[in-house]
Amino acid sequence: MTNDDRFQDLYRKYYKRMVRFYVLSFRVTEEDAEELTQDAFFRFLEAMDEYRGDAEWAYLETIARNVAYNRIRSQKTAKRGAETVDILDRNAIPEPAAPPEPDYAQREEEALRSKRLREAIAGLPTGSRECIQLWLNEFTYDEIAKFLKITVDAVKSRLRDAKKILRAKLGDANALPEVEE
Amino acid sequence: MTTKSELSAANRDLITENRLAIGEPPTAEEVLAYTRGELAPDEEARIRERLIAYPDLVRTLTTPFPEGADPDHPDYLSDHEFARHWKALQKRRHRSHGGLQFWRAFGAIAAAVAIVLGGLLWRAEMQLKQPVAVSQPQDLYQDGQRGIGTQQNTLTTNGDSYLLVPSLSSDLAVDKLRAEIADVADPSRPLWSSKAMPRTPDGSLVIMVPREFLKPSTYRLVVYGITGERQEPLSSYTLRVPPR
Repeated sequence: MTNDDRFQDLYRKYYKRMVRFYVLSFRVTEEDAEELTQDAFFRFLEAMDEYRGDAEWAYLETIARNVAYNRIRSQKTAKRGAETVDILDRNAIPEPAAPPEPDYAQREEEALRSKRLREAIAGLPTGSRECIQLWLNEFTYDEIAKFLKITVDAVKSRLRDAKKILRAKLGDANALPEVEE
Repeated sequence: MTTKSELSAANRDLITENRLAIGEPPTAEEVLAYTRGELAPDEEARIRERLIAYPDLVRTLTTPFPEGADPDHPDYLSDHEFARHWKALQKRRHRSHGGLQFWRAFGAIAAAVAIVLGGLLWRAEMQLKQPVAVSQPQDLYQDGQRGIGTQQNTLTTNGDSYLLVPSLSSDLAVDKLRAEIADVADPSRPLWSSKAMPRTPDGSLVIMVPREFLKPSTYRLVVYGITGERQEPLSSYTLRVPPR
């Protein structure tokens, strides 16, 4: 099998599924997903001759993830460098209708509670904190385990510890009921 | 009772705060090294911390990657679909190689130009550091001197430069002198202008002009006297450079 044959075989097998992978995982449009897929295959094709590993699909996966990573990272960094507008410039942005405001005492109470929760999370031991932060961002046990390079059992154990500490810190024995998991 | 959604909101705020302290997300290269386990423990912890501040980026690493479709599955590209996408890929490939060739050629030309300019600059610098032989100084007559109308000074030299000595009165009541050379055809745009130089006790002034600087034509040299903020022309000299 020549390099071209191998590439074309992978291209046929993975093209549609990679487009779907980008659409579902990263919430991009179908058109953008096709662009990312072509980009990934293009890079794979360019690097294929130098690749000496065993499983080419694994290499394709690395490149596909890399393409997604770079796309999202560039969006994040672009946002950080986004142009700012003077809030006093009334012409710069249309003024939105003011939402109904909670009263001052209520806002103050909410801000204090939010601060307490943030401090409680930040004060957790590193391993437990990383687990709970990812869990709160809707990552599955498998995904957390993969990212932190630990077993799923270790993830569950760290999450249990984190919740226990949080309940104690917040003085709330019913916080994060297990049924929510 | 504290709920998951309440803690999630607090976590989002915490992440936003952390990003300000952490800064930019890790680069793709750093992340690749992280996933391959190529980093020292403390560096790995640092990259992990930065990534947790960007959950969307973590998702690019953890979302399960699909398996390839079997040839009899609808997800496997048909010949028709393959031809269409393949054509687009080939187009992109040609575009990229065309662009690459252009930049390579552009780079080669830019490098050649840089070498030539560098050589010329080096030569010019070397020449400036070399002694210059001038066969004889040339005393200049002021315009209108001796009542014979405009006196043209014809410049001649056997060397690489002209050594011009404008005749100036020794009892000049000025602090500094400044000289300027312009083509008589365009006197408003001086070809050369000196800095203000303190006047010597005998009021003498010598100007060395590289031969190549003055093409065959007629020029006017004007010497100005400066006292305080005030500057006024002291004398002018018409210079003729004959064809070589």
